[in-house]
Amino acid sequence: MAEFVSTQHDNDLCSVTAAGEVDIATVEEFLDVVRSALDTGASAVELDLSGVTFIDSSGLGALVRLRSEAVGRDVRLELTKVPAKVSRILELTGLAGVFLDPESD
Amino acid sequence: MGETGTTPGIKMPEMRTTPESESRQVRPAERSAVLASSTRPSRHPVRVAAVIGIVCLILTAASTWASARVDANAEQRLLNVQAKQVSAVLSTAILLIQEPLTTALSVERVASGASGPTSFTRLMAAYVAPDKLFASASLWKRTGTAIVRVAQVGVPPDMIPGRPQTRAYLRNAFHTKGFTVRAVNAGTQDRIAYAEADPGSGYVVYAERTIPTNRRAAVDNNSAFSELHYAIYLGRTISPGALSTTDVDPRALPLTGTTAKVAVPFGDTVLTVVVSPSHHLGASLGQRLPLILLLGGLLLSLTAAPVGYQLVRRRRDAEENAVTITKLFERVDVLYGEQRDLSVKLQRALLPHSNPEIPNLEIASEYVAGAQGVDIGGDWYSIIGLGDEQFGFVVGDVSGRGIDAVAVMAHARFTLRAYLLDGDSPQTALEKCSRQFDISADDHITTVVVGLGNWRTGEVTLASAGHPAPLLVTSDGADYVHVEPGRPLGAGSGAYQPTTVNLVPGTTLFLFTDGLVERRNEDIDTGLDRLAVTVSAASAQPVDRLVAHALRTLRDEDASDDIAVLAIRWDPSR
Repeated sequence: MAEFVSTQHDNDLCSVTAAGEVDIATVEEFLDVVRSALDTGASAVELDLSGVTFIDSSGLGALVRLRSEAVGRDVRLELTKVPAKVSRILELTGLAGVFLDPESD
Repeated sequence: MGETGTTPGIKMPEMRTTPESESRQVRPAERSAVLASSTRPSRHPVRVAAVIGIVCLILTAASTWASARVDANAEQRLLNVQAKQVSAVLSTAILLIQEPLTTALSVERVASGASGPTSFTRLMAAYVAPDKLFASASLWKRTGTAIVRVAQVGVPPDMIPGRPQTRAYLRNAFHTKGFTVRAVNAGTQDRIAYAEADPGSGYVVYAERTIPTNRRAAVDNNSAFSELHYAIYLGRTISPGALSTTDVDPRALPLTGTTAKVAVPFGDTVLTVVVSPSHHLGASLGQRLPLILLLGGLLLSLTAAPVGYQLVRRRRDAEENAVTITKLFERVDVLYGEQRDLSVKLQRALLPHSNPEIPNLEIASEYVAGAQGVDIGGDWYSIIGLGDEQFGFVVGDVSGRGIDAVAVMAHARFTLRAYLLDGDSPQTALEKCSRQFDISADDHITTVVVGLGNWRTGEVTLASAGHPAPLLVTSDGADYVHVEPGRPLGAGSGAYQPTTVNLVPGTTLFLFTDGLVERRNEDIDTGLDRLAVTVSAASAQPVDRLVAHALRTLRDEDASDDIAVLAIRWDPSR
């Protein structure tokens, strides 16, 4: 069970709030919502993960994919308000450098 | 399904009745209901339509007949009433005819001969004329045995004095109370003869009244006859000869259909009046109702039959569809089962059938499939002997489920194996591999831990692509090797940091996938700690028992994630 909401703040920034579980059951919806945020023409998309309670390998895969799609569109994709549980997972799976380090490629 | 180190197998859990799999099976109650309904007799639409049509026609015929009967009965009753009215009217008319005769007799009696024939003539003159009551009237007197005509008004009567019939007839009048009547024929004219006698005075009044030759007398619109056809017969018998008057063509007699007959006293005889309606006596609805019912009923029959046919046919088609759907469900069940079997076989084919015998190593492994549905996961383990006293091992986990995850797993497994066989170090193998995977193309990321060890020295080098580090289990306990995780395969190319450990004899390296430690409502570290505790508790056991213990303790029966476990114990004293 999860809810993903996309809000456009102004022409330049779009934020997506994710709440609940990002796993194999909800990952398709998650991808759809963030992709449409990437399509809005905003120069940056912010992913607010403060409400995320669980993320599995499918969810991580989705994040990786969205990141490469954002790079392809020249949009900055940033994870914000990452809860400790999620950042620990990112650490253990070697993705912390990708998502949590703003200087990464 | 062995749990020993030499013949690892895939532990297949029982097919659980999860909501997903339930929906793919037709519930037995539904299935039997569908089958039961298909054997009911209403499967012949033509028969049903015919039955409906016939029933409607029968009902139409019955109701039409019934309403016609009701109407006929009503007509008869009304006609009977009218006949009584006619009877009353005729009785009155008869009295009017009789009255002059009776008056004439009274006059004569009173006058007793004094006035004689003149009073009679004067009296009767008012009644005798071609267009009046009588055509002829005469007064007769009995003197002794003879009867003599005394007066005469109008045309000569048909009765000739002196004839025996005359005398007989007049004499008869004396014997009759009231007047007598008989039909006479005066040449071209038919007449009714009336005779009334007064025995006291000896006078007899005789009059003749014309009846139309053709017997036709039209009906007066305001009279009792206005809605009727009638035929009046003199006497009790209905025969053409006895016909007095009628309003129809005498050749069309006797009257048929609804008729009523009354006998009206007429002198010493009767008038038999037969009437029949010339118009419908009752309300017009009563007359029309049978036709309405007939037409309505026919229309209903014509529409009900096709409607019934359609309904039954649709029902039959629906039942056949239901049977087809049930069969399809059953087929889907079978295919579903087949697909799962196929997937399991595929996975079984991809996993090692048996672990190699490697000197100084005690090896145990296990793969446990996830509980859910037909999709299989992409976890694997692998261990191979390499040249130069070395061995290589891999434990990996492809994200998601399904056949394409298994395809990615196969790709990763065999690619890494090839690099290891080629002599690459774990980090090099991973680095090379990382360039070959891309989530955008593969749809999955893969975490792997790769190890290269020397079974003589006990030195092991490990590298990890986003995978949990292995546990190092000794008699002192279990600790995770510190391996810096690089990016999972598919998340971009990169470098990997190797870690080298030197095993102490008896140490077990315990590798696993995250299905063994990850729980939805927990931090991952909690699961990792729990695993360490569990494994260290069985550290003295043979590796296969150790693996079984870990799985038994930690595996969540309903968990959907699959698990791969590889345990390697280095024991140079073996």
